[in-house]
Amino acid sequence: MNVRRLATPAFVGPSVLTLAVLAFVPTVFALWISLQDRELGQPDAHFVWFRNFVQLAQDRRFLNAMRVSAVWEVLTVASTMAVAVLLGVLMFDRCGPRMRRTLTLAFIVPVLLPRVSAAFVWKFAFHPLFGAATWPWRALTGEPVDLLASPVSALLTVAFVDVWQWSLFFAVIVLKLLETLPPQPFEAARVDRAKPWEIYAWVAVPMLRGPLLSLAFVKMIESLRSFDLIYVMTRGGPGISTETLDMYAFSQGFIESGRISYASSMAVLMMVVTTVAFTTLWNWSRRWQATV
Amino acid sequence: MASHRLSARGAGRWLADATLALAAFAAIAPVVWTFVNSLKNRVDIATSVPRLVFTPTLDNYVYVLTRESARGGLVNSLVVTGASVALGALLGLPCAYALARRTGRWTHDLQFFVLSIRFMPPVAVAIPLMVIWLGLDLYDSRLSLVVTYLLLTLSSTIWLATPAFRRVPREIEEAAAIDGYGPFSTFLRIALPVAGRSLAGAVAFSFVLAWNEFLIALMLTTSDAKTLPIVASELTQLGRDVPWGILNASVILLSLPPLLMIGVLNGFLTTTVARGARRGQH
Repeated sequence: MNVRRLATPAFVGPSVLTLAVLAFVPTVFALWISLQDRELGQPDAHFVWFRNFVQLAQDRRFLNAMRVSAVWEVLTVASTMAVAVLLGVLMFDRCGPRMRRTLTLAFIVPVLLPRVSAAFVWKFAFHPLFGAATWPWRALTGEPVDLLASPVSALLTVAFVDVWQWSLFFAVIVLKLLETLPPQPFEAARVDRAKPWEIYAWVAVPMLRGPLLSLAFVKMIESLRSFDLIYVMTRGGPGISTETLDMYAFSQGFIESGRISYASSMAVLMMVVTTVAFTTLWNWSRRWQATV
Repeated sequence: MASHRLSARGAGRWLADATLALAAFAAIAPVVWTFVNSLKNRVDIATSVPRLVFTPTLDNYVYVLTRESARGGLVNSLVVTGASVALGALLGLPCAYALARRTGRWTHDLQFFVLSIRFMPPVAVAIPLMVIWLGLDLYDSRLSLVVTYLLLTLSSTIWLATPAFRRVPREIEEAAAIDGYGPFSTFLRIALPVAGRSLAGAVAFSFVLAWNEFLIALMLTTSDAKTLPIVASELTQLGRDVPWGILNASVILLSLPPLLMIGVLNGFLTTTVARGARRGQH
């Protein structure tokens, strides 16, 4: 019995210790650096306390990055969930087991691709002169079209690639969730002469609201990792129209000026906002699921 | 009236099938097209009308695989991903097992802590770690990258392996305890083999996460420890006379390992989603 009691710390201890060190040391260090005026390649650093944060509040490029990040978050999460539910329901309604298996394998492909690969594949497909996706436009109008050159279409194009990667994968999950539902409510609705779309909209999807909410939560977290796509496809351009917070922090810290403290203060702000937002959402959704 | 409604339903079905067909095409075609392009010479790629008939060549692959930078990136990616995934499994699987078997407030808190690591913005991890690794003289080394990636692989292994262990029937373990198995041998000889297939899925998932990682590698390496995604992205940033064929070939090589995991991950997805939803309904 004694061994049994000792076992839990031995099982849990090493990884908890590793994770705690790996998570807390950078967090504390990020906070520490953000209060200094450290720059890359310069040995001296002084404490400036909250000067970086005051400067951020007045930095119009930072405010733009916040706006772009917020638009990105809403746009990609909403479109991914909408497309996923639509395709999941269509697969469930129209396909037999074999077709479902085939489509499932096809739909998982995009999400497995490294973001760098997905970004390149579509950047080339949207190439104004040689792209396969822009070819119909060239054939019809005889003119090249550069979707990544204008602010609005650039953001929409990069968001499209993100939704391409995630919504097809989520559609597979929605299908598998629908498959777990008991058949009785469907039959009852059919007896009541409900149309197929009504059954899905008012019976099936509401029954899955808990898992769908968790899916949206996962997508919110993943949407914060937009850096790879934006870095390869637009580098934040044209101008600063696709510059999200992580892209701006990266260019402040590495590309343009090496102002590592300034970049770190941005990172600290992002960390605080995401931690508070996601912890609140997580607790709220658990309580909501418990009461409903 | 009846025939009118029937035709409306027929049109709806046709629309539904067309949508699914389009989605399947959109999922696969870009990857297939990239593969086709990787077999083309420059003259066959840089055309206004996409060319389907051409003489295939392996020159692009030969070029990528004989280049010092790409080979270095491949070796770095294999070493860094392999080591961080193996360490993540070694440390994470026992932890996941304990979380699945013991219940209480602390297991719940611990699970939330593991999940919350995923909330951390990668920039917020990479910037301080860059300063730390520079200070320790470990910047741009495989070791520092492996340690940093442990955050990724360890947390995802724990998160995904816990439900897999929970599906191991308790009765088997109780029978083993009567046979005199202690907690360690129960874990090693009973729980691990029984949950084996699902655990392989969890580990494959953490492999894909580490292999595909980009931002942290970009900030923590400059030359010696550069991983394959970084090398590939550098190729895509080349200015004029872009070697499109070589680019397509390197993207295919980069994407191959995660795509090879598709079978394992698909099986894992099916059991996890189905069982998870059933558990949630009761």
